[in-house]
Amino acid sequence: MSSQYGAFSTKQEEGKKRIIPDRILIRQVYDYIRPFRRNFFIGIMAIVLGSLTGLAAPYMHKVAIDQIILPGNLSGFIWWIPIFVTVVLVNYFLQYVQIFQMRIVGENAVARMRDEIMEKLQVISLRYFSEGEIGRILSRPINDANTIRIFLRIGFTSVLLDTSSIIGAFLIMFFLDLRLSVAALSILPVAMVVVWYLGRYSRSAYRKALSTLGGLTARMQEDFSGIKVTQAFVQESSAREGFEKKQNEVINANKRAILISASYQPIVIVLRIIGSVIILWYGSSFVVSGIMTIGTLVAFTEYQFAYFMPLVDLIAMYDQYQSAMAAIERLFDLVDTKVEVVEAPLERKIEL
Amino acid sequence: MSAEIREYLRVKISMSAELGEIPIMKLQPDSLKTTKSFAQSVSAFKRLIGYHRGYIAYVIVIIVLSIIRSYLFTLEPLYTSLIIDRVIVGGNYDLLIGYLMIIFAAGSGFALVNFLVATINGLISQYMVRDIRLGYYSSLQSKSYSFYDSVSVGDLVSRATMDLQTADSFLRVWVGTVANAIFSLIMIFVTIYSISSTMTLISLLPMPFIFYFTTRLWVRTMQLFRIMQLILGKLSTYIQQNILGMKTVRIFRREKDLLNGFKKLEQMFVDTAIKAGKIQSIYMPLSPTLLTLGIAVVYVYSAYSIAALGLTLTIGDIILFARFMIRLTFPLRELSMLLGTWLNASAGLERVFEIMDIPRSVQDLPDAKDITIKEGKVEFRGVNFGYVKDRPILKDISFTVSPGEKIAILGETGSGKTSLIYLIPRFYDLNSGSILIDDVDLRDFKLTCLRKQTGVVLQDVFLFSGTIKDNIAFGRPNASLDEVVKVASAAKIRDYIESLPDGYDTMVGERGVTLSGGQRQRITIARALLTDPKILIMDDSLSFVDAKTEQAIQSAVEEAMKGRTTFIIAQRLSTVKNADKILVLRDGAVVEFGRPEELMLRNGTYRRIYETQFLDKVPLKGIVESEDDR
Repeated sequence: MSSQYGAFSTKQEEGKKRIIPDRILIRQVYDYIRPFRRNFFIGIMAIVLGSLTGLAAPYMHKVAIDQIILPGNLSGFIWWIPIFVTVVLVNYFLQYVQIFQMRIVGENAVARMRDEIMEKLQVISLRYFSEGEIGRILSRPINDANTIRIFLRIGFTSVLLDTSSIIGAFLIMFFLDLRLSVAALSILPVAMVVVWYLGRYSRSAYRKALSTLGGLTARMQEDFSGIKVTQAFVQESSAREGFEKKQNEVINANKRAILISASYQPIVIVLRIIGSVIILWYGSSFVVSGIMTIGTLVAFTEYQFAYFMPLVDLIAMYDQYQSAMAAIERLFDLVDTKVEVVEAPLERKIEL
Repeated sequence: MSAEIREYLRVKISMSAELGEIPIMKLQPDSLKTTKSFAQSVSAFKRLIGYHRGYIAYVIVIIVLSIIRSYLFTLEPLYTSLIIDRVIVGGNYDLLIGYLMIIFAAGSGFALVNFLVATINGLISQYMVRDIRLGYYSSLQSKSYSFYDSVSVGDLVSRATMDLQTADSFLRVWVGTVANAIFSLIMIFVTIYSISSTMTLISLLPMPFIFYFTTRLWVRTMQLFRIMQLILGKLSTYIQQNILGMKTVRIFRREKDLLNGFKKLEQMFVDTAIKAGKIQSIYMPLSPTLLTLGIAVVYVYSAYSIAALGLTLTIGDIILFARFMIRLTFPLRELSMLLGTWLNASAGLERVFEIMDIPRSVQDLPDAKDITIKEGKVEFRGVNFGYVKDRPILKDISFTVSPGEKIAILGETGSGKTSLIYLIPRFYDLNSGSILIDDVDLRDFKLTCLRKQTGVVLQDVFLFSGTIKDNIAFGRPNASLDEVVKVASAAKIRDYIESLPDGYDTMVGERGVTLSGGQRQRITIARALLTDPKILIMDDSLSFVDAKTEQAIQSAVEEAMKGRTTFIIAQRLSTVKNADKILVLRDGAVVEFGRPEELMLRNGTYRRIYETQFLDKVPLKGIVESEDDR
């Protein structure tokens, strides 16, 4: 821990960098998920299978174009339609299962975390409170736990779904045409580097945004607690000025975060367009020289979408992931804080 | 108390409820106003629109950019199908490079516009959230004491943070998303209509169903989100109680009860969230599924029209159609995600507006004036007061205090002592009767003018985080250090402050926990003295202090009262003996009023108190209560 009190004082927290590796934080979170591991694994199964059935659709399009529409072989629809409809319905069912199961896991796990914080707050030494600001402590079990909650319920699902979609799309592309796949994926290393770089910037911007919000929370906590004094001494306007100043600090911290997160998607879009152009460039010459069908080329452009769209999502999730990790770290910082004064066992207490 | 506040309190859990015993029943969904929720959500939206007024220029820019974006959005699929038709099938290889360059330029332009929209939208969202939060904050500043008696600070804060964050996540995307959805849909339909009108009509088939399912999702999850938001506020209250009431909780060993209550609330939250999740999991994946099925119809129809009807559809056209069907899902997916964001945001906003709409009860009359108090004569004339109409706290109180007199107020807990003195700076308004200062009715004073001239030492010795000097100079922030030292000296806290390494620049924690109760009390006395009030009101709570500190506080109090009309809720016999007049309250009525020596002769309550030293027992009771009240 950064200090024996955790990181409660304003200056300490706002300048604080994350020091605990994600790996350890994730393991700690998994401890809370463990009681619901049945739901968890059903959810994961549904996510993986769901992404695979989702990927079957473009292949079905290719089949329709190459084997039914282009040859004018309309009777092919007799088998094509039932298969297509089945794939789509199974995909729907799997989506239903994954959303529902992951919700159960996420809500319960975060509830356990919150309970634990409450228990901790009750045994933690009083010195802890004299050092810290109450608003900040308050923002942990509520604001931070909510960030984790949203991540577990939406973010985590998307991460798994996107990852398996991306991997699945790669495999199908390689199966369809090895050379074109290599050309199409040549853009990926560049994409990875750019994403990693942006991620580093966003980490610090997000941390700053989160902790200035914590500062604002503390400020309001104090202002509302002392409102009777403020009113009695007619100091409303100066309190409001101080509050406005604090709000502007929050906005300034957020501006950077906005700029960074707004540039994510566009960069990925440009990279995808380059990928598309490469596919169309090589692909059309392959089709013209007869080594590839039109259906395959169309399927290729669709699979390129099928991995790039999830990549965009995944990167958007990376934002969420970062703020969730920052929140998790601060929560466990509290849970792990050393108890200075251990209370005597209940039975030995003298009742007042 | 107004009807609105009472209505509000019906839903609320009162802070003054016993620790660990939160009436969970009140959180049952039935007790919420559920039938109105759709209309409420609409009105919250209208109100939110009002906050865009100052940022119209930005909104227009976003809309214009969205039109450009939706046009660029259609170019890539269009030129892909042209490559298939003209380059591959038509064999016109020269066109390829030009088409690819158009695709690249359109895609890059699309990316740039995306960036601009996200940035501008994110920025105005920040500004609007700031505006809403400031409005909320200002409205809270003008709420009267009775409002704060009945709400929890934790809940108020969570509305301004958690609830407004949900509003932020909506505001930061909604203009761009809606504009993009509308114009993209228009562009897509215009493009495909120019290829085949029949197929366009076919692709419209899933739309009514999508609309229906989306509405179902809205209606069914709305309530649940509201309840979840409400429970989060309660959880926040719980944590607040746990921290601020920490010492009380420890003393009474209530940790277990408190934790059980917390866990019950927590479980309710989980159950509600899962219920909402079930509904979402059924309806959310429906729309994309329907659109994907629509693609099958496009294939079948187009193959049929080429083979059987001999229509002039090219393979590029069919692929373009299929691709646009998929792209149709993007704006729709974004819209349904936006709807989810709005469900959350509207629940949050309602909770913010709900507080802003509670009318302030104590306010200036239209003809209130700035009046200087010259003498400090105070007169109560037939004053009746109660927090709730049919439960009077003070009954027909009449008495007159001459300028400069010290009035000690005695009475058991709950006899109305604090209420009585808090009426003088108009922290509460009377039910009937009147209070006059120098023969002028309180309501003729401007509120700020009245409060500036009445010094108050509240029972809750609240200190703000900041330096000791900041705290003493709270009522007059530009006071000089000399003035601060002077009042610190009068309040018998100077020696202590100057013994600290940082002296007057010593920081005190939010609740001033690092200072003892007695020290905090003397700082609050110094704080009141610095404004040099003509009338001083002291709610003198006694802490667990040693004899020496007690002596110091006593002499600080004596010093403070010099030359001012003073009302003091007495906790010490010495205060009472030195008072000019004593007022004894019982069940909200004055039972004795007069000079101490007169009252001694009268053989009434005061004499009994004096003789049995009953007064000494009052403080103990008072402390437990004041800690609990937090």
